[in-house]
Amino acid sequence: MNQALVNTFAVARLEWRRLIVRPLAWVLAAITLAWLAWNFTLLMGAFLASQIQRAALPDSPGFTDLVGVPLLGQLAQLAFLVVPLLTMSVIAGERRNGTLPLLFAAGVPASRIVLGKYLAVLGWLLLWLLLTLMMPLVLCHLTSLDWGKLAAATLGLALMFSALAALGVACSTFASHPAIAAAAALIITLALWSVNLGAQMAGINGGAINWLAMSTHLQPLLRGLVSTTDVVWFALLIAVSLSLATRRLSSEKERG
Amino acid sequence: MTANAASSAPVLKLQNITRRRAGRRAVERISLELRQGQVLGLLGVNGAGKSTTLSMIAGALRADSGSIELNGQDFQEYPELARQLIGWLPERAPLWAELSVSEHLDAHGHLRGLSGAKLREARTAIIERLELQPLARRLAGVLSQGQRQRLGLACALLHRPALLVLDEPANALDPLQVAALRSVIREQAASGTAVILSTHLLTEVTAVCDRVAILHEGALRHDGQIHSDDHAALERSFFDIAMHGNVGTARAA
Repeated sequence: MNQALVNTFAVARLEWRRLIVRPLAWVLAAITLAWLAWNFTLLMGAFLASQIQRAALPDSPGFTDLVGVPLLGQLAQLAFLVVPLLTMSVIAGERRNGTLPLLFAAGVPASRIVLGKYLAVLGWLLLWLLLTLMMPLVLCHLTSLDWGKLAAATLGLALMFSALAALGVACSTFASHPAIAAAAALIITLALWSVNLGAQMAGINGGAINWLAMSTHLQPLLRGLVSTTDVVWFALLIAVSLSLATRRLSSEKERG
Repeated sequence: MTANAASSAPVLKLQNITRRRAGRRAVERISLELRQGQVLGLLGVNGAGKSTTLSMIAGALRADSGSIELNGQDFQEYPELARQLIGWLPERAPLWAELSVSEHLDAHGHLRGLSGAKLREARTAIIERLELQPLARRLAGVLSQGQRQRLGLACALLHRPALLVLDEPANALDPLQVAALRSVIREQAASGTAVILSTHLLTEVTAVCDRVAILHEGALRHDGQIHSDDHAALERSFFDIAMHGNVGTARAA
C-alpha cells in the first residue's frame, strides 16, 4: 500500500481507538441519540395527529417533510456543540500530553496527521448520522418516504459534519488547550451560521455576506435542493480548514 | 534503504546541527558519528541541549541548519527514514492514557509500518523481553513512572530499529529496573543497534556506554571513548565542563 495511505490509516486508527475508549464520545452519543429519539416520537405524534387534516389537502407535506427532515435539522443543531467537543483534543490534547512528537518521530508528515485525525472524527460523526437516520428509515415500509429529499438532506448533514469536523481539527491545531479549541470552534461555527443575520434583518437577501453563511448552503439541501454552489462552499471550507491545520502543524515541527 | 544497508557508513552522522529555541541557540554546530553497536552517552547539565539534540535525531524536531545522516542518507531530505531506522524513548515517556499497554504497541507498530503477523510477532517478543505480560491489558494512564518507562522502551524497540535514542531512560526506575535497562541496552548494542542515551547519571554512562559526549550551553565540549573503570576521570571532565565550560580549565587555573 502507498506509504501516505499507510501513515494516514495508522493515525486514523489510533485516533479512532482513542475516541471509542474515551467516555466523552459515548456520553455524547447516548445523550444526543436519546434526545433525538424523544423528539422523533414527538414528531411522529404530531404527524399522526395531523393525518386527517392533511388527507383533505392536495400536495400536503408527508412523513419526510414532517418527521425525517425536521429530525435531521435537530441533529444539525446538536452538531454545533458535539463536533467542537469531539475535535477539541485531537491535536491540542496530543500537544498537552506530549505525544505529538511521537507522531512526528514516526516520520508521519503533518498533512497525514491532520487527515488521519480528521477521518477518525468524521467516521464517528457519520456513524452518528447513520444512527439518527435509522429512526425514520425503520418506518419506511409503513409510510411513504421521499427518498430524494431524504438523500439530499442526508448529503447536507454529511457535508456540514465534514466542514465542522475540519474546522474543529483546525481549531485544535491552533489552540494550546482543548477547552480553548472547543470554544473557538463553537464561536466560529456560530459566526459562520449567522454571519448574514444582520443583512437579512436589513432586508438584504443576496450578496457576498449571504454566500458566506453556512445556513444559506445547508437549508436548500434540507429542502431537497442539491446545487453545485452549496457543495463547493462546504468543500472550500473543508479544504481551507485542513490546509491551515497542516500549515500550523508543519510549522510546529519547525519551531518546536 | 534498509537498516542493514550501507553498513560501512556510520548509522548516525551529525554535521554542524544547530537549533534555536525562544531566540537563543539551544544547540550549536554539533557534529558526531555513531556506528553499529556503539553506545554513546550524552551528558550535560539541565538546559545543555541534550533533549533538543535527541529530538532532532529522532525526527521530532527539525534542525535549523546542518545535516543528519542515517545510514548514509540525509534524514532531513527523507524524514520517513525515522520510521524504519529509529526507536525513540522521549523524556518522561509520553503515552496515550486511554490506551492499554498492548494497544500502545499496536499503535506504534502501525505507525512504524508493521501489521498482521509481523506486528503480532514483534509485540509478543517485546512484551516477553521487557516482562510486560502482567500489564498488557492495563491502561497506560494508571501505570507507575517505572512501568511507563518500560512501555516507552518497548514501543521504541518494537520495530527493531538500527538506532535507539533514549532520553533519560533511567529516570524514576528502581535499582532492579535500572539493571534490567542496562541489560537491554547491552543486548541491543551486541545485536548491532547503535544506541545514544542522555542521562544525568555518570554511573549510567560508565556502566553501559563505550563513548561519551558532553554538551554545555548547546555546544559539544567533549567526545571520547570511556572505560568502565574511568569513573573518576569522567567525573572530572564533566564538572570541568559544567562549571568552567572546558575540560581541564579548572586544573590549568
